[in-house]
Amino acid sequence: MLVIRRRPGESVIIEAGPGVRIQLQVMEVQGARVKLGFAAPASVLILRQEILVAAEQNRAAAESVTASSVAALLDQLRGWQRGMGAGAEAQPRKPKA
Amino acid sequence: MAVLESPRLGPIVFDSEQVIRFPAGLPAFEDETEFLLVAREATAPVVFLQSVLRPELAFITLPVTAVAPDYNLGLSPEDHRQLGGEPDAGSLLALAIVTVGPERRPTANLLAPVVIDLARRRGAQLLRPASGYSHAHELPLPCS
Repeated sequence: MLVIRRRPGESVIIEAGPGVRIQLQVMEVQGARVKLGFAAPASVLILRQEILVAAEQNRAAAESVTASSVAALLDQLRGWQRGMGAGAEAQPRKPKA
Repeated sequence: MAVLESPRLGPIVFDSEQVIRFPAGLPAFEDETEFLLVAREATAPVVFLQSVLRPELAFITLPVTAVAPDYNLGLSPEDHRQLGGEPDAGSLLALAIVTVGPERRPTANLLAPVVIDLARRRGAQLLRPASGYSHAHELPLPCS
């Protein structure tokens, strides 16, 4: 991986192909958070990496749902819960806000 | 009342008021903006997230607190915007999408929980990169 040090206000340029120039500017640094600005042709897709991870995981999850996979999962969940002496929950619990 | 014929879950009878709207869809399924929560006694504690517009699309989910009891959503103002406003803690439901398979251990996506405001019937899949949780958190459930 190429590593370049930049200060707020400074940029790097990525020439991604003929006529495809992407400017990445460090706009602000605040503690652990960095604000980045991108200037790129509209055809360039810029995504947060975790969105791509979520998309791939969602695709895999959607394909994994079958009657037998659901039955196998339930068997496992109940086996674990029985093994730990806890009953199956009928209602989903509320998370902390 | 309407009936949705789900190839995965069979017929689902529902009222339009039960539909949860996801204005942004889910990553990889951006056009799927309406889902139903299907929680049946026979399949507890699993909650299915069934697409209304695409009957063949359904997800297996578990409440995040069933997978990670200490999970803290930590909603930001940006998250509130995605949910159409700040939700009451009492009407929040957070679900982790589960991936299953014959040759692998089931995993739950704790990086990107599906967060639903039951009062507004609004939902969004929110990303928690700072939470330290994995997109493929291995089950089993901890003792709860």
